[in-house]
Formats: sequence, structure tokens, C-alpha cells
Amino acid sequence: MLNNLIELSLRYRTLVIVLFITICVFGYRAYTEIPVDAFPDITPKQVIVYTESPGNSAEDIEKLITYPVESALSGMAGVKLIMSNSIFGLSYVSVFFEDDMDIYFLRQLVSERLSSIDIPSGWGKPELGPNTTGLGQVFWYQVKDTTNKFSLRELKEMQEYIVSPLFKSVSGVEEVVGWGGDEKQYNVLIDTKKLQSFDITYDDIIQALQKSNQAAGGQYLEFNREQYLIRGAGLYKSLDDVRNTVIKSTQGQAVTIGDISEVKEASAPRFGAVSIDAKEAVMGMVLQRSGTNAAKVVEKLKKKVQTINTALPSGVSIDAIYDRTQITHKAVNTMTSALLSGVVLVAIVLFIFLFEFRSAFIVIISLPISLLIAFLLMDYYNLSANLMSLSGLAIAVGMIVDGTIVIVENSFRLLHDKPDSSKFEIVSEAAKEVATPVTFAVLIIAAVFIPLLSLDGLAGKLYTPMALNIVFVMLGSLFVALVLVPVLVFLLLKPSKSAENVVMKAIKKAYTPILLLALNNAKKILALVSVVFVILAYLLTLQGREFMPELNEESIMYRVIAIPGTGLTQSLQTSKDIEKYILKNYPDEVNSVLSMIGRSEKGETAQANYMEILLTLKDGIKDLPKLTKQMSEDLEQTFTFVQFVPTQPIAMRIEELLEGVKAELAIKIYGEDQKTLDSISKDIQSAISGVRGLERMEVETQLGQAQIKITPDYLALARYGISVDEVMQVIRNGIGEESVTQKIEGVRRFGIVAKIKDSKKSIQAVKNVTLRSKSGKLVTLNQICDISITQGASFIKRENLSRYMVLSMEIEGRDVASFVNEADKIIKQNVKMPAGYYIGWAGDFKNMQEATQKLMIIIPITLFLVILLLYTAFNSLKKAMIILLNVPFGFIGGIIALIISGIYLSVSAIIGFLAIFAIAILNGIVLVSFIDELRAKFPDVELKTLLKDATLLRLRPVLMTAFTTLFGILPLLYATGVGSEIQYPLALVITGGVISSTLLTLLILPSTYMLFYKKEH
Amino acid sequence: MNKFLLLKLTLTATLFATNIPVEKVQMQIFNRSVELNAQIIQLSNAQQSITSLVAGHLEKYYVKPAQFVKEGEKVALIESIVVSKMSADYLALKEQLNATGKNYKATKNLYEKGMSSMQELNNQEIKRSEINAQLTALKSQLETLGIKADKLTSATANFTLYAHSSGTVSALLKPLHSSLSVSEPVISIVKNQAYYVKSFLPLEYANKVKVGDKIVVDYADRKIITHITQIMPKVDELTQRVIVLSSIDEKVSDMFIDVYVEAVLYYSKSFKHLAVKKSALSFFNNEWVVFVPSQNSEKSTDEEENSEIPYTLKVVKIITEDEKYVAIDGLDRDEEYVSDKSYYIKSALLKSSLGDGD
Repeated sequence: MLNNLIELSLRYRTLVIVLFITICVFGYRAYTEIPVDAFPDITPKQVIVYTESPGNSAEDIEKLITYPVESALSGMAGVKLIMSNSIFGLSYVSVFFEDDMDIYFLRQLVSERLSSIDIPSGWGKPELGPNTTGLGQVFWYQVKDTTNKFSLRELKEMQEYIVSPLFKSVSGVEEVVGWGGDEKQYNVLIDTKKLQSFDITYDDIIQALQKSNQAAGGQYLEFNREQYLIRGAGLYKSLDDVRNTVIKSTQGQAVTIGDISEVKEASAPRFGAVSIDAKEAVMGMVLQRSGTNAAKVVEKLKKKVQTINTALPSGVSIDAIYDRTQITHKAVNTMTSALLSGVVLVAIVLFIFLFEFRSAFIVIISLPISLLIAFLLMDYYNLSANLMSLSGLAIAVGMIVDGTIVIVENSFRLLHDKPDSSKFEIVSEAAKEVATPVTFAVLIIAAVFIPLLSLDGLAGKLYTPMALNIVFVMLGSLFVALVLVPVLVFLLLKPSKSAENVVMKAIKKAYTPILLLALNNAKKILALVSVVFVILAYLLTLQGREFMPELNEESIMYRVIAIPGTGLTQSLQTSKDIEKYILKNYPDEVNSVLSMIGRSEKGETAQANYMEILLTLKDGIKDLPKLTKQMSEDLEQTFTFVQFVPTQPIAMRIEELLEGVKAELAIKIYGEDQKTLDSISKDIQSAISGVRGLERMEVETQLGQAQIKITPDYLALARYGISVDEVMQVIRNGIGEESVTQKIEGVRRFGIVAKIKDSKKSIQAVKNVTLRSKSGKLVTLNQICDISITQGASFIKRENLSRYMVLSMEIEGRDVASFVNEADKIIKQNVKMPAGYYIGWAGDFKNMQEATQKLMIIIPITLFLVILLLYTAFNSLKKAMIILLNVPFGFIGGIIALIISGIYLSVSAIIGFLAIFAIAILNGIVLVSFIDELRAKFPDVELKTLLKDATLLRLRPVLMTAFTTLFGILPLLYATGVGSEIQYPLALVITGGVISSTLLTLLILPSTYMLFYKKEH
Repeated sequence: MNKFLLLKLTLTATLFATNIPVEKVQMQIFNRSVELNAQIIQLSNAQQSITSLVAGHLEKYYVKPAQFVKEGEKVALIESIVVSKMSADYLALKEQLNATGKNYKATKNLYEKGMSSMQELNNQEIKRSEINAQLTALKSQLETLGIKADKLTSATANFTLYAHSSGTVSALLKPLHSSLSVSEPVISIVKNQAYYVKSFLPLEYANKVKVGDKIVVDYADRKIITHITQIMPKVDELTQRVIVLSSIDEKVSDMFIDVYVEAVLYYSKSFKHLAVKKSALSFFNNEWVVFVPSQNSEKSTDEEENSEIPYTLKVVKIITEDEKYVAIDGLDRDEEYVSDKSYYIKSALLKSSLGDGD
């Protein structure tokens, strides 16, 4: 079949050329069109249901909202995990689904279920969270007022009613979330003393407000053949309308809102704030719809900024704070430059080895064409160009040319050897000779990487694009090698005088004696190498492990956590102090500091004690890690009352996605009672505090939120003739400022709040809030309720319908896996768990563990596949084994490289080993197949001589493939840009592996072959 | 007295970005005040009505509403058949008396001449006395009505109503030309300087209040000082509040009655207790606490600087509070305590309990 393909393409040369030109054109188009992103989308299939329930406590929200939502969603098909967080004023339920399900279908299912949930009226309505990924925050901006003319309230209004709608109109934008500023509302400040004076109740006021603010349509009448619409325009137009609202009237005398209260514009209670350079600000975040191209969305957003700026009042403009494309470009640039320099290096290597322009050209041209085919396939399979997928290409650059090299080299040799035959025949023969090993080599590389596709979870999402791309580009290269290369060889290659160049001659001269030595001492060398391998393999098990090296986003960000229950004003002050401190002490490095305090408008679960501080850095900072470290230390020493956790914008979101744990390692303690959970967490803390490597421990204290608990006293209520409902109404509307109606100004709506004057001035003031019963009795809240101050939950987290508490930790100077082993043992020995309470490890570590377990299954399967392929190719198990023996030799270099550089064994490094696996086998195939060929041709020659000759003859292609692979990967090793650190372990392992595998292939493979076939011969 | 003690500051400055002020626990006087709802009233004796003593027909008002009248001033004219009859009777009786007087004289002359009997004379005497008695009664009745009987020359139906005390006419109660029955109020007069403040007190405050305590009312941007004169034994059933009456001290006139005003009650009984500043309080593990500098902090910090927070917490019980201070139990007099920024210490304490070691 392969032979026919080669024949056919050689025969229809023009057609082949045209075909490849077309492929190149479409490939280029695909290259420019595929979505570009920093990371592959690692967000799990997740639907978020959040319910805003302003003013309500975590306990009540859990009981009345979260639990019903959770139980309604728990029975759905494909649900993997349900997590929830109930905090003050918000219920947040996140449902994780199996990854293969369609997100729109899932959202549909969830919203169907939501309609059946019964939540008490006035407690909010469950809503679906925005359909975006964890990396969805593509664009952050500030609504900046350079004139200082506008108040925060006005800026917020602009953000909500001018900026946000315009950004939302950009295709690919799912949601625009505002953060910071004050929301306008109209306060009707009720003087409760006047309730007695005017003989009304609180409820009367609310009723009056609600009933007055109405509009109605009265259909139409016809007059003089024309239609006149009748319209009842009763909506409030001005604050005077509110003031003049009649509460009741007796004998023609009206009691109006204005009589009993003061009506004025005010700010709604808020849960978050933003501060930029020690000044409060209003910002927004644009969320990208999942499945859209981040780069394109941002590009469109930036264009839209101009439109928005013209719509805003003069002096106010949109100022970009953070733009995801910056990091995306940086990451993609790192990879593309690695790819490009790889291509150049490979070209140079080829030229040096071939020393002939035409053959070098053929090999080099196969490189971009294979890459373009890969882009075409990426486009077809909706794969985005990102750090991982591009790195797949970069890894493969060296291997792409292998097939072509073998074919070109063989043709070159045959052309030289058989000057009499027709060119068509020579090329055809040369190609056919090596077609099978080349095909199998490529298939084996694919086989090595294909099992990676079955990885699931985070590892799967990260490394699947890489594996896929390697497979794509290898298939592309195979296609190029079998179809295009013979045609190009036929058209371009000429018989050359000397196939040997100076470099090769020198290498051969040095190599021959070593090879002979190796062949003579076959057994000894094999034994030695085996011992070395065993020792190294043992050392590798001692090497530290981690899931993924940290991505360097070239930015500094902190999560700052104050004690639970900290007020927003205090947090704002803390943020401002931190901002001032940073600006004062790092004027040369930091341009601006942004703090985001509490939570934004939608679906965030942070409380007022939580701050995120992002630094905008100046260009030209040399040592970012050093700066980060120094700054962290400085801040920690200066602001001792809060905790600083250094992070980065994307890393932070990814951390949050890791099952709601924002730490690399965490213990989840499950159980019902928060106090028990709290005490268990304390026990665990004291038990493991001495374990080596523990840098920081942080318990998410769920308790600690001070509450003023108002419990109705039924007897007292009965005495005064007041119902619980009335009390709760006063608490909800009068103290809690829930709006009773809305003032509609154009499309803008602002709440009208019947607030009891001075009710929130002090704790005493709450107790003294006065109610009036319908019969006229006057009572204070204190008289009819039991008012106590207690410490309650500040949030309640649940997983699969069970409460849990998180104890997160940071490990330094030690690998996580061994730490977990030790700590787990200590906890089991020393911490007593009551029945119904148990712990589980979570965070990054869990992903690593899952990935490792999966790899333990995948690697044997891969091995089996490869053996199967090798057996098919050579029809001999013995030879398959000889080639496989090459693999440990390859690993030796990889392990040495890892150990020397002290890099942890991460998934990235493991994939490097997989690549070595492929390369080693490739080297083996090239050599073994040639030895076989020679043995068939010269059956009488002594095996040792034959092996020597074969190895020397094959030296050039073996070295060439090795060097191309090596130089293809080198740029990744020396890359410094964003994302380079993720690929570093991989590049390191491959570099070490390629060197050792090539050296050992050239020395030990002939020796093993001899040991295996000595008797036969 | 209430000055920051800088003793600990050198130490704490290394620990906290902000200086932690320390003060001593002091006795504080809690002059408590309560805001109340109150109403300006006039007690019932301050408002008077002028009633007609006779039934009749209201002919004329001599005064207009809001007009100030002096005692004895004419206020209304009533035409009354009763008066008319009385005056006519009076005149008739007067005539009769004259006639019987003459008869008696004549009879006496006759008797002295022996022409009449003693019995005759006695009869005449009795008749004269009878008429005289009737006349005196009628005269006194007329005079009660303000009619000078002596000056009556002819029968009259006019009855004039006079103000019995000075005051402002607050209302003309009957329309003109209406019929009046006996003792029906015709005009009401408000006596000046008889305003009271009726304050509504929640039960919990009422127990502590005494006669003589000050209540200041806010009346149309004026602060009017009153003193409690009476604590009513019965609560206002409608509002379930204790009613306290206080009289207005100053000479205030022209107040509107029944208006609701805001009042502040100041207890005269002062309450003295150990107190800390309100800003010192912190809610910790379900209890109110105040942070105090550790006793042994000076010694230990030499060796292990920064490793420990030089404060300990003390649980306190809140007795009462005012704007700035809280009376507490649980601390000693002159004990040092952290008077402000307790948040930072609480943070440091909670943080260190998280095991944020190095």
C-alpha cells in the first residue's frame, strides 16, 4: 500500500505539488484564524447557580436556599460533584459535570430544575452564573475620572448604564461585572417617633410607597378617526412625588411620606470596593463566553473602548488595567519563537550534516509544510493555539524531519551508488525501502502520545492539546515524507560526487574504535549500563514531585486575608495603606496598585475581609522572582494583621477552580457541626505543625462572624399585638435597606428604601428601633425580641451535600507527595475524629495524584502498543525487545538531567520521558532495520563486521535525527518568556534523554544485537 | 487623665503598623438620657368654658376667637325668657311690696286708733315679709346672672355673659341665634401659661425616673426645658407607655396644643461605674473582650521579640453605655487597657492561632 502511494505520487508529480500548495494556503489561513490563548481551557464542565439574598446570614442562606438548590440539582445525569458556599447575602452552588457533556445542554437542564425549587419569597431567585471559563476574565478596566468632578456613585452609574451595555454588545462577551463604587438608592428615612404622632404603622408606609409608584395602560379611544392611547403615568418622577405620597388621610387631611420622613439620595449597602493607588475607584471585568477566541474578543473590546469613551462625559474614560491578551501574546510568543528558532537550528544542523544544498532544502521545506498541516488539523478539531498546544509542535520540530531525512538520505545514497538506473526507479526504490520503518516510527511516536489523550481532569485538559498536536504534526510529516518528499527528491536531487563531508568523516574516525571496543565488550557494557540505570531509577523515586511548575505571568498579585468579620471600611483602609506602602517603597518597579475588596456584583464568594491586590509593573524589571520575594517579606512584616498570599491573575483563577480550594495543598475536613470541624482543624494544625517543609498553614475559619441575633419573643409579640412578619419586615426593609419599590429613570432603576433613621448607628440603636402595632402600641425591638450578640458562621461550604472546612497549606523546600504521606500518617495517629467526621486531601496535589495513577495505567498500555507495532514491523519479538531495550538507555540521560538541575518530577517531566521513549525507539528502528537489511544482503559476513559497517553507514541518519531533535528542543530549554517554566522540565528531560539515547544507541544497540543474534548467525 | 500611655509603644511599633493606644480604666459618670416622644398639652383646668346659666337664645358675641379677654369682660348676649320673667316678676313684686307697705302703714294707723284688730295688723306684716323675702331671693338670683336688680326699671330679656377669668378665646362653641339650655358651654377660654409636656416612656426607663428630672423638648427649633411634676400611675393603654407630666418652666405663650414633639429625658440620678472607651471593645469567641497589655511582656520580649503578641484579652460584662464610654465589669480601676484599634490585636491573635509560624 505504501509502495503504491509512493509510485502514484511520483507519477502524478504536478498534482502532488498543486495539492501541497493548496494545503499550504489553507494551512496558513488556519494558522491565522485559530483561537489564540495563553492556556488550554482547563475549566471543568461546570454550571454555577447563585442566589443573591441581600442582608441574610450564611446559616439562613444555607438552610433556605443552598440546600434546596443542591438537592434539586443532585439527582441530575452526569453530575460529578456539587459544591456550595453560603455566605452573607449569597448562595453559590457549583455543579461539576462529566467533561464530555455539552455546556448549553447542561445549562438548560439546570435551569429546568431551578424552576422547581421552592425558596421563600423575599429570599432571592436562583440564577445561572455566566457561561464563561475560569480564564474568562479577559479584560479589566477602570472607569477613570481625570477631572475629579464625578462622585463614585456617578461613575458607578456610568459603568452600569453606559459602559457595561456597550461592552456586552461585543460578540463573545458573556457578562460585564462591575466592582467598586456606590450604588445609588433613594432613602426614605423614617422617624419612628412620628408613627405615633400620625397614627400609622411601618407597614402603612411600605404599602403607600408600593401602591403609589405604578403605571397603567388604559387601552385607547377613537376620536376623529384617530387613535388616542390612554396611559396612566403614576411612576415616581421626582423625589417630591415620593414625599407627597399619601400614607393615609382622615377628614381631608393627608399624612404624606414627607411628613414622617426625610427623602434623599443615598448609597446602597455594598459588599465590595475597589481602590487604585490609594483612591477608591470603579472598575469592570469583561467575561468572555466559553468557546470564544480570547484574543479576538479583546481586540474587539479595545475597538469598542473608543466608542464608549465618546459616550462618556468628557474627562471620564475607560482605562485598561489588565488585558489577557498580553500574557497570551507573551506565552504564544515564547512558544512561537522557540518553534522558529528550533526550525532554524534544525535547518543548520541538516545543512552541516548533508553538506548539500538540494537535499537540505528538501528536508527543511518539509518542516513548515508539516507544521501547516498540523495547523489545518488544529483548526478542524477546534484546538486553540496556546502554551501547551504550541509546545507540542516545538517538541516535535526535531522529529518532524526524521522521516524526510531517512528518505532523502537513502535516495541520496542510491543515486550515488546506482548512477545507471533511471531516476524514477532509484527514487521510487529508495523511498519504498525505508517507507515501512519511517511509517512505523511515526506511528510509534503517535502511539506513545495517544494514550495521553485519555488523561482526564486538569492534567488531561492541559496535556491533551500537546499530545494531539504532536500526533497531528507527526501524521503531517509522514504524509509529507511519503507523498511530497519523493516528488521533490525526483525533481531536485542530483547525483553527487561525494556523499561524505568533512564533519562526518571526522566523526566516523573518532567513533569507529569506540564502536569496536563496545562490540568486543558487549556483555560488560550492557551490564554496566543496566546497573547505572537501576541506580538512577532508584534516585528518581526519591526526586521531589509536583503537579505543574508555576506559570510565570510576569505580574505580581496578592491575596490578602484579614480576620473573618472584618468590615469593608477597615479592609478598604488596609488596602489603601498597602497601596501607599508599595508605591512609596517601590517607585522604580511599580506603576500602579489595584485592590479589589470583597466581592463584585455577580457570583463571587469573597467577603469583605478578602482583598486581591494586583500590581502593574514598570517595564524592564530584571529579576521578578527576587522582587516578588522581597516585596512579600516587606509587606508581611509591615502589615502583620493580615495574611499575604502571593499569586498571579491566571494562577489565582486556576487555583480557585481546583475544587474550590485556593491553595496548592489542603485538607478538607467533612462533618456537620462547624464547631467540631473547627476543633478538629485546630487539632490537625497542632499535630502537623512540626512536619518539615510546612511553610504556611491557613484555616478557613468559618466561624467568627459577629451577629446581632434578633429572636422574636412570641409572648411579648402577643402582648403588643405585633406579628413576627411585621418584625421581620422592619428588620429586612427598615434596617436591612431592602428596597420596597424602584424609581425608574429612563432605563435606570434605583431602589427606594424605607429605612429607619439612625437604626444602624450602633448596636444600641438596633435594640431601640421602634415599632408600632396596628392598635397603636409602641414597642422597641428589644421589648419584643431577644437580642443577643453571638458569633456565627461567616460562610458555610458544602461538598456533595456535606459541610466541610478547609485547612490549606503551603509547602516549601519539599515535594508535596512526600509531605502528604508524612502528614497523613501523623494525623491518623494523633487526631481523633468523632463519628461522621473524616478528612480528605485536596488542591494541586490531588491532581498530581490522579494524573500519576492514570499514567500508571497508560504507560503499560503504551508499552504494549509499541511492542505490538514493533512486532508487526519486524515480525520478530526479539528485535522488538532489542529496540525496547534502547528505552532505558534514553531514560538515563533524562534522569541525570533532572537530578542535576534539581527539578521536581512533574507531569511535564513525565511527558518528556514519554518523548524520550519515542526518540529512543526511533533511533533503534533506524539502526535495527538497516542491520537487518545488510544481513539479508550479505548473509555470509561475520556478524561483528556487519554490525560495525551497518552502524557506521547509519551513523549519519542516526546522528542527524538525534541532533535535529536535540536542537529542535533546545530553544525551549533556553526560553525565558512567559510559559517557558512550564516546558522547562520537559525540555530538560528530552535534552538529556536524546544525548544519552543517541550515544548509547550507537554503542549498545549493536552490542545487544550481537548478544541476541550471535548464536543464530 | 485620659492620655495615651506611651509605655508600650516602643514595643508595639515593631509589631504593628499602627500605634496601639493604651489608657487606664477610670470611673465614669453615666448621665443617661433617653429620647422620647412627647406631646404638648394643657391640663383640663387650664381650659375653661363659659357656660350660660340660663336657657335662652344666643343673640350676640362680643368677642372673636383668639381674642384676649379680661376677667369681667362682656363676651356674649343671650335673650332669655327666664330672665325676662324673672325681671318682670321682680318689678311686680317690688310694686307689690310697695303696695303692702302702704297697706301695713294704713292698717297700723287704724290699729293705733283702735279701728283694726291686732290680728289684722299681724296678717299685713306677714304678707309684707313674704313679698320681701320673695323679692330678695329674686334679686339675688338676678344678681347672680349679673343683672343689677336695683337698676331695673322695666322687664328685660337680655342676659350678658362675662368672662370669669382672663385668657384667650379658643372657640365660640355655639352658633349665633341658637337656643341654649341651662349650663351649656358657650365660649371656651384658654388660660395662659398652663402648658404641660406629656411624655411617653417605655417601662424600662420609667422605673428610673423621678419627679423633678429634666425633660427637654424640641419645639419648633426651640429647646424648652421642663421638669417632671407627675408620673401618672396608669399607663397610656393605647401605646402601652408610662405617662410623665412635666411643667414648662419658662413663661411660654402661644404654643400649639396636642402637637407631638421630640423630648429628651435626663436622669438626675447619676450612675458611676468603671468604664472603658467604646472603641476598646471587641467581640471574641462569643464574648465581649478588652485587650490589656500582658503582665510579663517587658521581660519576655527581650528574648523573643515579635514572636508573641504582648496583649492578653479579658472578658468584660457590659453594664451600660453612652455615646463614648461603656461601663463594664471585669477590669480593675487604673488597669491599663487598649483603648482603640483593638481590631489589629484581634487580627494578630487570630492569625497567630492559625499557626502562621516560620
